[in-house]
Amino acid sequence: MGATWVYAEVTPDGAHPSALELLTKARTLGGEVAAVALGPGATAAAPELGAHGATIVYASDDQVFADQPGRTAAHTLLWLIGQHTPSLILLPGTYEGRDVAGCLQALTGSTLMANATDVESASRARTEIFGGTKIIDVDLAGPEPRLILVRPKSFPPEPGRGTAEIVAVDAVTPSGPTATVVERHAEAASGPKLEEANVVVAGGRGLGGPEPFAMLDDLAAAIGGAAVGASRAAVDAGWVPYAYQVGQTGKTVKPEVYIAAGISGALQHVVGMKGAKRIIAINKDADAPILKIADLGVVGDLFEIVPALTEEVRRRASS
Amino acid sequence: MALLRAARPAARTAEVPARARRELVHVLGQRKLFQKALPGVMHACIFWGFLVLFPTIIEAMLAIVDDGRTLPVIGQAPWFLFLVDLFATLVAVGIGIAFYIRKVQRPDRFRGSHMEEADKILLAILGIVTTLLLWNATKIALGQTLHPSAEPVANALSNLFGTGQPTETLERVFVWSHVLIVLGFLAYLPKSKHLHIITAAPNVYFAKNGPSGHLEKLEIDLEGPEEDIRFGVATAKDLSKKQLLDLFSCTECGRCQEVCPAWNTGKPLSPKLLIMDIRDAVAGIDPTAGEVELQPLVPNAVTDEVVWDCVTCGACMRECPVDIEHVDTIVDLRRNLVMAESRFPTEAGTMLRGVEGPNENPWGQPATARTDWIGDIPVRVLAPGDPAPEYLFWVGCAGAFDDRAKKTTQSVARLLNAAGVDWAILGSRERCTGDPARRMGHEYLFQMLAEQNAATFAEAGITKVVATCAHCFNTLANEYPDYGATLEVLHHTELLSHLLEERKLLTTPGANGTVTYHDACYLGRHNGRFDPPRDVLGSTGLTATEMERARERSFCCGAGGARMWMEESGDARINDTRFAEAAGTGADTLAVACPYCFVMLDDAAKAAGSDMRVADVATLLEEATLGEPTAHP
Amino acid sequence: MNVTVLAKFVPNPTGTPSLGPDNLLIRDAGDGALDPGDEYGLELALQLVEAGGGEVTIVSMGPAEALAGVQRGLAMGAHKGLLVTDPTLRGADALVTARVLAAAVARTEYDLVIAGAESTDGYTGTMPATLAELLGIASVTAVRKLEPDGDGFRAERQTESGYDVLTSPKPTLITVTAGATEPRYPSLKGIMAAKSKPVDTVSAADLGVTDLASTQTVAAVTDAPAKAGGEIVTGDDAVTRIADLLTEAKVI
Repeated sequence: MGATWVYAEVTPDGAHPSALELLTKARTLGGEVAAVALGPGATAAAPELGAHGATIVYASDDQVFADQPGRTAAHTLLWLIGQHTPSLILLPGTYEGRDVAGCLQALTGSTLMANATDVESASRARTEIFGGTKIIDVDLAGPEPRLILVRPKSFPPEPGRGTAEIVAVDAVTPSGPTATVVERHAEAASGPKLEEANVVVAGGRGLGGPEPFAMLDDLAAAIGGAAVGASRAAVDAGWVPYAYQVGQTGKTVKPEVYIAAGISGALQHVVGMKGAKRIIAINKDADAPILKIADLGVVGDLFEIVPALTEEVRRRASS
Repeated sequence: MALLRAARPAARTAEVPARARRELVHVLGQRKLFQKALPGVMHACIFWGFLVLFPTIIEAMLAIVDDGRTLPVIGQAPWFLFLVDLFATLVAVGIGIAFYIRKVQRPDRFRGSHMEEADKILLAILGIVTTLLLWNATKIALGQTLHPSAEPVANALSNLFGTGQPTETLERVFVWSHVLIVLGFLAYLPKSKHLHIITAAPNVYFAKNGPSGHLEKLEIDLEGPEEDIRFGVATAKDLSKKQLLDLFSCTECGRCQEVCPAWNTGKPLSPKLLIMDIRDAVAGIDPTAGEVELQPLVPNAVTDEVVWDCVTCGACMRECPVDIEHVDTIVDLRRNLVMAESRFPTEAGTMLRGVEGPNENPWGQPATARTDWIGDIPVRVLAPGDPAPEYLFWVGCAGAFDDRAKKTTQSVARLLNAAGVDWAILGSRERCTGDPARRMGHEYLFQMLAEQNAATFAEAGITKVVATCAHCFNTLANEYPDYGATLEVLHHTELLSHLLEERKLLTTPGANGTVTYHDACYLGRHNGRFDPPRDVLGSTGLTATEMERARERSFCCGAGGARMWMEESGDARINDTRFAEAAGTGADTLAVACPYCFVMLDDAAKAAGSDMRVADVATLLEEATLGEPTAHP
Repeated sequence: MNVTVLAKFVPNPTGTPSLGPDNLLIRDAGDGALDPGDEYGLELALQLVEAGGGEVTIVSMGPAEALAGVQRGLAMGAHKGLLVTDPTLRGADALVTARVLAAAVARTEYDLVIAGAESTDGYTGTMPATLAELLGIASVTAVRKLEPDGDGFRAERQTESGYDVLTSPKPTLITVTAGATEPRYPSLKGIMAAKSKPVDTVSAADLGVTDLASTQTVAAVTDAPAKAGGEIVTGDDAVTRIADLLTEAKVI
């Protein structure tokens, strides 16, 4: 099998964790492993990419990759593919990864598999459907390189002891109309919008007042990529604004994980969150309806459990 | 008047005997006016007085032309003279009471009403009867009346007058003033709310004969020509004759405003103000302006918020002495907002999509989950082609999907089994009855569901239906016949009550505790079923205590009019307000008979942190039953 | 400004999906609807055209029943529709779909093409980027707000840490995130008007797309290890159990 390449997202702060996860996986497939890092911070990230298995890092620190995302990286990759003909390219299932992969597919005409949870070779990968109840093994055919978008956090990153040769590349700027970034905003405080968040931490009547919502803010921040929501009871009581309301007359959310703290689970709330892939409920009432639909129900005191959970999450993140 | 002629007719001419009876009772008998004691007396005096004294106006006009002339036959009859004297006095007393109510008691229901206009009318009426009495007094003084003692008051007044010339002049003065005030009053009439003396009687005649929960069908044929499709009421020209008559029958008494749950919780909707505002918009139309673009009534006459605040509880209609149908007009306004303009509280869209979408229920739950409540209860689920049961238990969307309502469904199922009733359910073939869509104004969606469900009933050979939801009950019983489904529909409390009477269910009435029953609007006020739930509760042994606002005066839980699916504004929540009233009785349990009431009041109980238990009548009955009934004697 | 909106007809989002004997998703005809995710884009298109003039065209690829999805878009206010329906397209993967849609979109007049961020049934989320490249136009994905800006557009794009603002020349393709707008509910008048709006129906051959070979085939389907559905825990290990679940879900 030809080389496996990993499209490594980089920033001036270093390599995105997804890059390290994918490199770890790529090492197991046999064949040469290379990373393609395009954008400011690429060269600086090369040692870390090398440590995780890349023998070559095709790097460019050109600002244009950050200013004209997606297309520029795809066209540059196309040029590299023409030079080095890899068999397989692994990309992370992030906003950027999907844009690059989608655009690249138009250029190479090769197959692109999304949402992969495991990769066996350039010809076989695995994913889940129907809310994770069925596992699908997929055969990939067609011209190489095959493209696979991998769900973030599918493989734990494990550094090895390699070093990478850095090969500088020039950006290939495509002709034709392209979008350009003019401003960047970080919203660390508020986090993602409720409807788009990967994880939702929601509070209900059980919180007893507005102040305990700070506890949920902490948990959301610890998890990362999480938003805080609420049941109608908490909104009606005036503890949080209507924008937080999840339910029939509020927002419908479909996160990976929905954590319901102090929410009884009345139908009008459930309607807004039952699409969540996993539901965790914390309630002191063992008869609360929400425990019937939760994947994991905890009967206990949320005032003890939530802070303890926040700490545990932080602990695991730092280790 | 031109508008009235051009307006579309309302199908209100059939069933004459019922109409005539209502005319007698409501108009002649003043029944609805007596719902408030003192105002009832006040108005009865004036109204009956008006009827009795009517001939005296003729007499006065005759007497102007021909001095000394009286009415033929009765003009000098003692009984007539007595009646005239008595009722003229009663009218004056009535006016006195009216001023007492308006100036001393000053009830809040008059807020927003035109008080000066009312004062002028009352004074004019006082003027009419005063001049009449004085005229009669002068006639007595002049010796023109044959039986003065038949007119005690006029007789007493006659002592103010001598027999000579000044009295003759005064007699002319009084008769002229009397006639002039009457004529002036008649001229003023069409411009004022006193027009009700002409419009009220026909308005009562043309009111709905059946239950107030029955909205009129609006046939929507999408295949037909677009101009023929009516989307409800957008401008004044869309109002029906009855709706126009409603507007001009309103006397601004405010009895409707006083009981409106929205108004009472700080929202802008007042049924009285709504009618007045639309009336003013209609009255303001210049008939000579020709084909002018009429302003849409919403938001120009009434705001969107006012239209959406209504819970369609019908308390306003119950109070209205002249049978104005506020709810029907509000729903007609909603029909236009929803179907023509798609302008409604956004959050209700979720409910509409759920009802419209593949699963056809307001919560968008999978139709296959309608049988999840069954568990291990023996239940017959009808498959197509199965023999029909005696009773179809219509579980309803709430009863199938909502956790609290499911308890009621389960209690009813077990009770029906214990009583040996032949019953079955449709399971996932049930579709929403369409009530929430209809109350919201989406008549087309309701029509589709009604036709679909009617077809299912026909195919399955269903004749009798029992429902736990008051809304399903009202729609199936009253509205579905308009779509070809004639069913005998019972509310579960009615059936349970029968079963208890027939001793098919037996209870151990040893239950301790107190209970207060909340009358569901769509069961009670709209359909007159007040006693069956109380009878059932009576058999449980719980001690019943009534809230002040009970039976026809029940205060809505706040979910009706599709408001269950909307966010609420205002100073207080309707459900919290009602719950506080229930809790105020000191009872341990609040009994309900509708899943909407259950959810709303249970939520209110939790928000108040109260220990009061909210439970359906069926569940309370189940707790008191003996298990399997023993053999009947 | 003319906007072309991509609309996918998907199976009942709350129904129970299943795979057929050919391991392809059963798209149950009676139970399908316009993908709710596409309604956000359609609403945005309608708002832009209502403010600045122009027309909205709906383009959809699917079985014959997908016409219902197009009609819903027309009922909401779109002006015309183009439906690509062809039995040979059953099971088309993202690349084939992109090629077909590129040919279809090219038949419409557009300054802006809008697609949903990911479909409810396939959720690859890559097809729009492929489509943009095939059309040779600029693209911005995960847009939560869009305004016309001079001769082009100004877009707010959701990122993992917040949002970026991009400018893009005409024509541009964007994908919109859920919650970017509140889709309007079609009025009955809209539904009636939809019946007389023009809808073209074409096949893959009409569009000149011939390479329809799928490059992915399902080799095996197995049941995932049964999620201990409805597991209830009390006691001290609750926190560990939750954190384990979060790890398993790959959110931490």
